Amino acid sequence: MPYHKFKCSECIPEREKHAVTKGPGEDLTSCLPLGYLNTIPGTISERGCAYCGAKHVIGAPMKDVIHMSHGPVGCTYDTWQTKRYISDNDNFQLKYTYATDVKEKHIIFGAEKMLKQNIIEAFQAFPYIKRMSLYQTCATALIGDDIGAVAQEVMEEMPDVDIFVCNSPGFAGPSQSGGHHKINLAWLDQKVGTFEPEITSKYVINYVGDYNIQGDTEVMVDYFKRMGIQVLSCFTGNGSYDSLRGMHRGHLNVLECARSSEYICNELRVRYGIPRLDIEGFGFKPLSESLMKVAMFFGLEKEAQAIIDEEIARWKPELDWYAKRLQGKKVCLWPGGSKLWHWANVIHEEMGVEVVSVYTKFGHQGDMEKGIARCQEGALAIDDPNELEGIEAMKTLKPDIIFTGVRPGEVAKKLRVQYLNAHAYHNGPYKGFEGWVRFARDIYNALYSPIHQLSGLDISKDEIPTEVGFLTRQMISDVNINKEETTPIEERPYTGDYDCVTKLRGKTYPRSSEPLSDAV
Amino acid sequence: MEVSLEETQKDRVEQLVDYIMKWCLWQFHSRAWDRERQNEGILTKTRQLLCEEPVELETPADKCYWVDAVILARDFKATYPWLATMEKKDIKSLMQGLKERMDFLTITGSLNEELTDPKY
Repeated sequence: MPYHKFKCSECIPEREKHAVTKGPGEDLTSCLPLGYLNTIPGTISERGCAYCGAKHVIGAPMKDVIHMSHGPVGCTYDTWQTKRYISDNDNFQLKYTYATDVKEKHIIFGAEKMLKQNIIEAFQAFPYIKRMSLYQTCATALIGDDIGAVAQEVMEEMPDVDIFVCNSPGFAGPSQSGGHHKINLAWLDQKVGTFEPEITSKYVINYVGDYNIQGDTEVMVDYFKRMGIQVLSCFTGNGSYDSLRGMHRGHLNVLECARSSEYICNELRVRYGIPRLDIEGFGFKPLSESLMKVAMFFGLEKEAQAIIDEEIARWKPELDWYAKRLQGKKVCLWPGGSKLWHWANVIHEEMGVEVVSVYTKFGHQGDMEKGIARCQEGALAIDDPNELEGIEAMKTLKPDIIFTGVRPGEVAKKLRVQYLNAHAYHNGPYKGFEGWVRFARDIYNALYSPIHQLSGLDISKDEIPTEVGFLTRQMISDVNINKEETTPIEERPYTGDYDCVTKLRGKTYPRSSEPLSDAV
Repeated sequence: MEVSLEETQKDRVEQLVDYIMKWCLWQFHSRAWDRERQNEGILTKTRQLLCEEPVELETPADKCYWVDAVILARDFKATYPWLATMEKKDIKSLMQGLKERMDFLTITGSLNEELTDPKY
């Protein structure tokens, strides 16, 4: 096994099996790190907890819901929905965060009474919101507060409200991924099948595992609607509580992020016979093939092809403009889970960048299988890295840019390595054809940022060139462009709008002309 | 030096494996029994499409396998021109080799310790 030992982790020998280098001739039977294990004491993991995974990642994007945490206010504040999962109802779920504010006295005397009062007050404060998700935390789980019983009591007293109970305290798994698992199954057990949705098309899907980061879900739903497909529910980006209770009426579960939501798809298959189709919204080729697969399931190939042709004609010249300027740039692909494998190959194929490392904070071995299978030879794959390992990897691999989260991103900046926010994006959405160009634009803007170039000069010791004027991005990037080559006239930088999502709201779509008799 | 038929097939299987690994996700479901079903369902239908045989589309699950198989067969044909030069019996043998290799890489030889977890 081609394990990689970090110098900084020599004092933690167990870490060795968490990093591998994909060498020549290696395959998945010889090259796979350990994963999804309890964090090794002393390694200072950057993972989130199971409560965070349940609430912050999966539950909280639901848009018409009060997301209440039963626990100390810190748990709530730190999982305040800061991941830019927007919604089309004025971002209700992003504006407020709710907690029972448990203190020491409640640990001694119990906090159920206070929980009930908090739930009722929250519903009274927002009388137009009738749905709530309620999250257990470590402290309240350890004292044995029965949040399910309290929720039941409130629902009996207030018959017009509905409460979902998520029992995923922070310690309920090695990482946030444990929380993904728990909330998937809890939603299925408690809520799916308790609401009958209106069926408006012969072709009905649940769009699962997308969280509407800067509008990703809305972009994908637009494609489906243009084909005449009814998107019954979105799990959970821009998703409404009641639509997700009706998931059992879908004909097909279309799954994006398997790491966070394959559990509900697998169980919907077992319990309701709804098949699971894995798709990808990132990259022209994977997206085109994904749209075509969904279309073929329903016999809508012509509709899908028309969309694919139109979108590629519109956006390919702009992707090409950036790809020409990104060739050979070295990338560390260090996201949380699924983008590790969604992006590992297609950013190389379609943008020409070289992936020199992949890592996942909370992914399982299955995620690493996909990531390692897709990344290039020589890449370093790391499971659950700590900050020192990240720094050592950056110094060794010398990447031009890191795609990661905010915390490791700020560390990268201090080493003068550019970073893009792979979790919440810089200027997303990144899904969809236009979104993929926006991603390329963000990479380009980061790599060739004039201020980034200037920041390499230390005015206390470097000689500052005075004969050179200010260089724009394109002056820097086009040094690498072969002037002899004829640039196709249509190639150009991004020409889309600053906001490409809001205009999708309120759009009208053709209703399915097919009879609906088979639909329900 | 002349390359044996066996070596040619092995090399071609590896090319097809590489394509699947780079562009597909269906082979990486989370449990061994799912991977067996996926590999069997999709690669069988891909073989049938490449050999112009009828494909069963009775159940929603069949349709799911079929859509992945159609895309894969199209991509194989577009990427590997040598497929068009092969006899159907040779394609069958190639696809059998591919299935065995995929089963090894993703199931029987896999280092993924979660594959045998009895629950989702």
